[in-house]
Amino acid sequence: MNRAGRGAATGAGMRVTRALLLLAVVLPLAACAWFPMEKEPPYRLVLSWGGLGETPGRFNEPTGIAVHAGEVFVSDARNARIQVFDFEGRFLRQFGTPGEGPGQLGRPMNLTIAGGELYVADYWNDRIQVYSLAGEFRRSVGESGSGPGQFDAPGGVAVAGNGDLFVADFYNQRVQRLRPDGRFVRQWGETRRPGWRAGYFSYPTDVAVAGDGSLYVADGYNDRVQVFAADGRLLRKWGGPFALNIHGSFRGWFATVTSIALGPGGEVFVADFYNDRVQKFTSQGEFLTAFGSAPSGASHTAMAVAVAADGTVFVANLDAHRVERWQQPVATR
Amino acid sequence: MAYVSNMVLEVFTVAIWEKKSMLWCSCLMPVLLWWSTEAWAGGVQYELRVDGLACPFCSYGIEKKFKKTPGVTGIEFDLERGLVIVRTAEGVELSEERLQQIVADSGFTLRGVKRRLLESP
Repeated sequence: MNRAGRGAATGAGMRVTRALLLLAVVLPLAACAWFPMEKEPPYRLVLSWGGLGETPGRFNEPTGIAVHAGEVFVSDARNARIQVFDFEGRFLRQFGTPGEGPGQLGRPMNLTIAGGELYVADYWNDRIQVYSLAGEFRRSVGESGSGPGQFDAPGGVAVAGNGDLFVADFYNQRVQRLRPDGRFVRQWGETRRPGWRAGYFSYPTDVAVAGDGSLYVADGYNDRVQVFAADGRLLRKWGGPFALNIHGSFRGWFATVTSIALGPGGEVFVADFYNDRVQKFTSQGEFLTAFGSAPSGASHTAMAVAVAADGTVFVANLDAHRVERWQQPVATR
Repeated sequence: MAYVSNMVLEVFTVAIWEKKSMLWCSCLMPVLLWWSTEAWAGGVQYELRVDGLACPFCSYGIEKKFKKTPGVTGIEFDLERGLVIVRTAEGVELSEERLQQIVADSGFTLRGVKRRLLESP
């Protein structure tokens, strides 16, 4: 081989070597980022209650859940009511009837409690309904449509420190911020245009607001979580490689996100519907642990999630028509 | 049977109209109209094959859109078979294009349709 040929061969060899070195660096990084290890022990199921039915204490598709001061509020969707229990699963009260009138419910979905009031995403009636915690109807926000302050199937609602509402506007492919009386402030996402790029949504299902005002969005069919700063900037997103609508069952990946809740330390709990689990992350999106029940029917179990002040997690199990209480094992020496 | 009746009705009507026989028209039209109404009396049942129905955001979305469609009297889901079952009132037909549009508006793709005429109650 002459000098030129030997030089070309050496150059090619160098390129291969560089590519292999690059892969050796990138692959472990990708493995760490996309296939994280568990950093906490999984939660264990300590109690469940309910079952299919119409009588008090039974459910026909529980789709939303919220907790406050020792009480659990559950959206009982096909029974068009909200049921309230204590933490031991004892029935306390119920309110709501099927219909479109004030206080009546279409399909109640994700719930939020703020300022001593219960906020219900009324999916069929395109509005947010507000009740006292005793169940008295207070007011309604929004109407059908795709204009500012209007909704097409709101899936979830969160309340900021100043009383502003954030609403996951499912079919309008956006999240809206509204004043407490329903006046439009701003929106994220493009109305009725689903998208996978950063800041766009594909059927957003739920929202949660942290103490610092940052907004967490369950970006339903994009299989990811997006987080926005109080000033509206996108801070981060996670869920599968690059959070680009790649679904899967690995840790930290999702297969349709249906609910999101924040823990007492700012941890993020995400209902990962088709994977039948709740996943727990740090506020930065670092995977911590996952837990859930296997389905026994044709549906799936992890529909909605809520976290109590002591860290106890409550899950609306759609498939079994039950509410589940999960707790982290107490650390032992 | 009802489907055949409708086909016969259509053929007869066209034939009569083309021959321009007003006598035939005036005599047979009431009979044909009655026949037509009888044939459609029980409405229609559509079995729509749609993927991803287990998520309530999806199934309630489809239900919501069909509830707003005039003439639809009932909607059921068969999650095991991935079916949306839609029933219409007597005399109401939904074209495949219309069904496709409703399912698309709900965020899904229609994979197939089976149509069955319902018996009158």
